[in-house]
Amino acid sequence: MEAVGLELRALRSPRGNMRYLIKSGSIIDPARRVATVGDILVADGVVQHVVDLAELHAETEQPDDDVVVINARGAVVAPGFTDLHAHLREPGDEHKETVATGTLAAARGGFTTLCAMPSTRPTPDSAAAVRLLQELARRDGHVHVDVVGALTVGREGRALAELGELAEAGCIAFSDAGRPVADAALMRNAMAYAAELGLPVMAHCDDPRLSAGWAMHEGVVSTRLGLPGTPAAAEVAAVAREIALAEDTGCHLHLCQVSTAGAVALIRAARARGVHVTAEVSPHHLTLTDRWVLGSLAPRPEPAAPVNKPRRRRNPNPELSLPSWLDPALLPPYDSSTRVSPPLRSEEDVEALLEGLRDGTIDAIATGHTPQSRVEKECEYGLAAPGISALETALALVLTLVHRGELDLVDLVAKLTEGPASVLGRSPATLRPGSRADIVIFDPDRAWTVDASQFASRSRSTPLQGQRLKGQVILTMVSGRIAYRRDEGEAAGSAQPSPSRLEGILGNE
Amino acid sequence: MTSAPARRHAIDLDDFSGDEIEALLETAESMKEVLAREIKQVPALRGRNVVNMFYEESTRTRISFELAARALSANIVNFTARGSSVEKGESLVDTVRTLQALGADIVVMRHSQAGAPYLAAQHFRGSVINAGDGRHAHPTQALLDLFTIRERLGQVRGVQVVIVGDIVHSRVARSNLWGLTRMGAHVTLCAPPTLLGPAAYWTATWPEVRVCHRFDEALAGADVVMALRLQKERQQAGLLPSLREYTRRYGLTPERLERLGERTLIMHPGPMNEGVEIAPEAVVAPNAVIEAQVTNGVAVRMALLYRLAG
Repeated sequence: MEAVGLELRALRSPRGNMRYLIKSGSIIDPARRVATVGDILVADGVVQHVVDLAELHAETEQPDDDVVVINARGAVVAPGFTDLHAHLREPGDEHKETVATGTLAAARGGFTTLCAMPSTRPTPDSAAAVRLLQELARRDGHVHVDVVGALTVGREGRALAELGELAEAGCIAFSDAGRPVADAALMRNAMAYAAELGLPVMAHCDDPRLSAGWAMHEGVVSTRLGLPGTPAAAEVAAVAREIALAEDTGCHLHLCQVSTAGAVALIRAARARGVHVTAEVSPHHLTLTDRWVLGSLAPRPEPAAPVNKPRRRRNPNPELSLPSWLDPALLPPYDSSTRVSPPLRSEEDVEALLEGLRDGTIDAIATGHTPQSRVEKECEYGLAAPGISALETALALVLTLVHRGELDLVDLVAKLTEGPASVLGRSPATLRPGSRADIVIFDPDRAWTVDASQFASRSRSTPLQGQRLKGQVILTMVSGRIAYRRDEGEAAGSAQPSPSRLEGILGNE
Repeated sequence: MTSAPARRHAIDLDDFSGDEIEALLETAESMKEVLAREIKQVPALRGRNVVNMFYEESTRTRISFELAARALSANIVNFTARGSSVEKGESLVDTVRTLQALGADIVVMRHSQAGAPYLAAQHFRGSVINAGDGRHAHPTQALLDLFTIRERLGQVRGVQVVIVGDIVHSRVARSNLWGLTRMGAHVTLCAPPTLLGPAAYWTATWPEVRVCHRFDEALAGADVVMALRLQKERQQAGLLPSLREYTRRYGLTPERLERLGERTLIMHPGPMNEGVEIAPEAVVAPNAVIEAQVTNGVAVRMALLYRLAG
């Protein structure tokens, strides 16, 4: 097993001046819309040199003694992913997650930058509280952490937080994270204020009166199961209000965890008339529906036919030829791991989200990683806290879309890198020489079975427990240092990825 | 008689075949004979421990299960959430494990949260009987309704049943949908839109079901009218303009009673709000079988306990 040949001796040498040569990977650089096979030399925390092996007479880097060679043959090399939406829980709820465990989970998922939602206690509604978080991230973080500041004091929706001070402290956006601001006038003031500061307001869109008492999405499944539902209209109505306020104030509005077809249509129309609105969608809202709450009561789905183009590649390894669908019947009925906020929606919503992702209405895929402790999850469905551990399954889950032929691999990588960067107003993540060496290497074809007990995250709640997925992170590099490398033990018994299969995925016609 | 495969839990009727329901109803007939004797007890479940685990108060269902278990000679104990470890914050899973450790064989469970019996069943080696969970299911109520219809009309197949009232919040309606459709009855759901939701939400799961918002239209040709309890809080929650309007449009009023004729069975799962969803005249009408439902409940629950005890 030599997919990642690392010299351990070199790993133990002092940090900082380590040089790495990532050899023969399939480099996807969404900023430049290129997918090529090549080598990347990393030193001093930045990308030094990229060699495209497709070019004739390309000079292969001659590794000298102090260069650690990472063999990425058959794997994808891409800029590290940015997650716009993760809850780290520290300080305040360390039993759910800590900065150390959450950012390690991020690194295992291929993320090199996390935006920490302000659900921590004390609420980051003051510079002091923000600095505490930043200090924790510096001390314990395995990846870069950006802090989203609270929009209102204590996230209580009554009075504006000192947004100016928060901006000076380095907050990259403002949000009340999961608590929609009920008072439209306050929201309007917040947006006007944030617009002047040039930072986005991240809104979780929900009309609390329409969704009162909700346990899941209102529809056929909630009707069958007798669970109180929240209608899609609860999200759509709130999205409409926030868009109107953004249009009015000129604020950059970012919509968190969009889950409904109606919301996608509103965002598309708003963007068309020039409103500064961006949006994210989670891997689970893109792939799972409310039928997952049925668990074993759900009829087994038909294997889906490839949607777009017929698969050109053959499957040389039968053990890798997975069903292209995920199976909710592995879960018991009413499993609390299917309870997320916003809830898993209908088939039609999932279709609309995918379409929105394809046509650019939705900018980014964000995990919505919301760790909860076992106590909060191992209880009656309607009493269980919403939220799942999402960082470590995000990539493989969205790769099901690529494997089903519904999304291009380069586009997918763009939604995890370039998309979130543009939401944050940053220059797009890239592997160009001179850029910070935040890099992920993943094998899109490697099959694995989700086992939450192996998660780095403290939260083990995932609806994907026991599912076979395809695609796994091999190595994550943050500022030129290895933040995560797949343990070779984990890889035992699996077939080595071959470039031929990867070409099929890259679809380089 | 086809012998149905072994059954561990009874959480809803969705996983009961028509044959299995038929067999249960036949067993219930024998049980009803037992209950008509002077000595209302057989030794079928001697030495078995049944626990009534009621997180929600329900005197009639609890007593019905208690009498059913005693008639089968089982040991039955009552556990109510009030004043128990639950009030001190014990989780459902811990409580079920504790009952397990205490030697419970069958747990009869009433809970305000839909799906709670599935969670309990995952952590309990014995059998779980659902005695009502949130809006989800109340399988023994549906079984006793089927038993009563069959007893009075001879069969369930082909019978026109109108379920009227607060359907969206009703576990009785949902379990009856499974049971009635599986046994070949024709079901019409009738309620104001706020207490029903879109028709497609129901027909996607129960394609044979008819949805109707006009009670008088729904009543045409009905063999059975099943009125559901309307909680007065529904009006406070804004789902209804007033109880007066509800009664005018959806109540089983003396006028409607008159039009129905004497052959249409009048059913109600109780407890009733007399004068709201059902007029006092309808409760005591000769074609009302509301008390028979209660009586039959004990026999049906005996049959189910007997079936689960194997």
